[in-house]
Amino acid sequence: MRKLATVSLILALCGGAYYAVSAAEKTAEPPKEAAAKAPVDCFESRKGASEVTQREIKPGWPNVKCSPTTGAALWYGDPFDGTVPMGKMPQMDIPEGLAVVKPRSEKLALMPICGVSCHNGVGPKFTPPVLPKDKKPAPVPTMAAMVPDLANLQHGRGRIWCMDCHHTTQRNKLVDHWGDPISFDQPQLLCGKCHGDKLRDWRDGIHGKRIGEFVSTGKKRWFTCTECHNPHNVQDGARNRGFVQLQPEPSPQLPRGMANADHEKLHPIPH
Amino acid sequence: MAINQPPCAGPAQDRPSDCSVQPASADPKANPLKTTRRDFLRSGGMLSLSSLMGTAALMTQSDNANAATEWAEHFQKNYRLMTPEEKNEARLRLERRYSDEYGKKVAVDTTDAQPGMLMGYALNIRKCIGCRRCVHACVAENNQSRGKRPGEKIEWIQVLRMERGKFEQEKMNHGYPEGLGIQVGGNAYTPAGQVLEGQYHYNPKAVPEQDATYMPIACMQCEKPPCVKVCPVRTTYREGDGPVVIDYNWCIGCRMCMGACPYWARRINVTTPVLPKEEMNPVTHYLGNRPRMRGVVEKCHWCLQRSRHNRYPACVEVCPVGARKFGNLLDPESEVSKILQRKNVFRLKAELNTFPKFFYFYD
Repeated sequence: MRKLATVSLILALCGGAYYAVSAAEKTAEPPKEAAAKAPVDCFESRKGASEVTQREIKPGWPNVKCSPTTGAALWYGDPFDGTVPMGKMPQMDIPEGLAVVKPRSEKLALMPICGVSCHNGVGPKFTPPVLPKDKKPAPVPTMAAMVPDLANLQHGRGRIWCMDCHHTTQRNKLVDHWGDPISFDQPQLLCGKCHGDKLRDWRDGIHGKRIGEFVSTGKKRWFTCTECHNPHNVQDGARNRGFVQLQPEPSPQLPRGMANADHEKLHPIPH
Repeated sequence: MAINQPPCAGPAQDRPSDCSVQPASADPKANPLKTTRRDFLRSGGMLSLSSLMGTAALMTQSDNANAATEWAEHFQKNYRLMTPEEKNEARLRLERRYSDEYGKKVAVDTTDAQPGMLMGYALNIRKCIGCRRCVHACVAENNQSRGKRPGEKIEWIQVLRMERGKFEQEKMNHGYPEGLGIQVGGNAYTPAGQVLEGQYHYNPKAVPEQDATYMPIACMQCEKPPCVKVCPVRTTYREGDGPVVIDYNWCIGCRMCMGACPYWARRINVTTPVLPKEEMNPVTHYLGNRPRMRGVVEKCHWCLQRSRHNRYPACVEVCPVGARKFGNLLDPESEVSKILQRKNVFRLKAELNTFPKFFYFYD
């Protein structure tokens, strides 16, 4: 009996050893397939405004995970990837380096040319700049083609025009109340001119979004106004909520034996 | 001893020896340990079994980390009763097993609650557009089962779509209930959200829809959690910094907590969880997102593996409209404290006196 037990034990041990070896071989294979892959772009808050390219920060640890269904950013491996310091903000005493933003200017495709090619602020007609008295921009086909939102500028519902936000002579800058330029990376300084209540809530983290460390002394990446809102088209969305409509992520799994979710639409009270 | 005091609340020395009622303390470490028959038998059993186990481990040369760990796990205590050394042992054991199983370096964190921290959550119900990004961020972070077959796909956050009500001219003369004529006058109102059991499976081309409001629901991390009250093995409990957590090893899968939870927040692994190696998140917490086994209950824990290290939970970080807010309720400068000071806030099912630390608010 004891002999039999010993033999079976040895057999079992050999089997175990073989299993371990074969398992090790299996795990060694997959990384090769994963190496060759097309770059994945996904958007953070709104499409076409805040795309991130997926890359590996360290082996097996991407900077961002993207949704295969909608192409939305679903998970941040490093919340501070590609950020720069926010700079001084009025009434925000955050130590240097604890508040960071993603620069907006590098996302704006027209930025490099708009300050130099058409709106460079020089020439006989532009010094001093002559602006239309009725505050209606002269239609320029090139401009309308490049920025389609301008055809129906909804912001302010017709009460404001381009030069209320954009600098007259430095077209790659925004403008404050004194006519001084504001960087495109700090749109909150511009938007807060009118939307003071929102700016106050944004400063306290109630409006808008911050990622990173949640404690009030921690390092955070702040999302600026234009990362979520399209300033030329703020009334978009079926419910005028300030966001464009998005494709939702897939719905949850149906319970076992349920063919569809039509029962959810039944109204127990007829109306 | 004062008359009002319960019989076992006094100091240990003047406690009657036949006292069998345990003092009502949330912290089991505060209770003095007493050797009972059960303990004696258990330690005897452990001694004999561990010697067997030791030989088994030696003979197999512990190449299969999985088998060795499972053996050891059978004899570990409830997480709250473990000494720091035992916690560390359990941590190393699990790290070894998960690293072996998922083919990458897996860290199992056992960081405790920090003093001065009470986590709180707020959600702007007016902002939510129902895009379900939080649901899928949660799955990417927390190692839920994600198979295709029924019961293999687990999501902790549910987004409830509710229809908006409206008053209509055409219905001015409708009685209510219909046809019975009990109500005098009309019922011009079409009620909001009056559907059978809520709409969770909505799938339009684009959200938000014109006629709908969305309400995400997950674990509310109650201050008086009904799930903790009913757990027969006391494996689920409220941590010192707020979240209600589960020691998965002690869960017996009885689903009492699932029945007790008024917010439908708990999920059970009816099948062996399906978690592909490449999708597994290697940064885990013992009480948080470490891979679960079959037959245990799981739920939201506010990403303990992140929030214990001051990082925002995954759902907060992906919300495209910034509706989700997270912070320290004890810090008046945190965003959640500011919301409680300034905004209109409500708790879901506040009448149940569960005192959630999850607040809904609106501008």
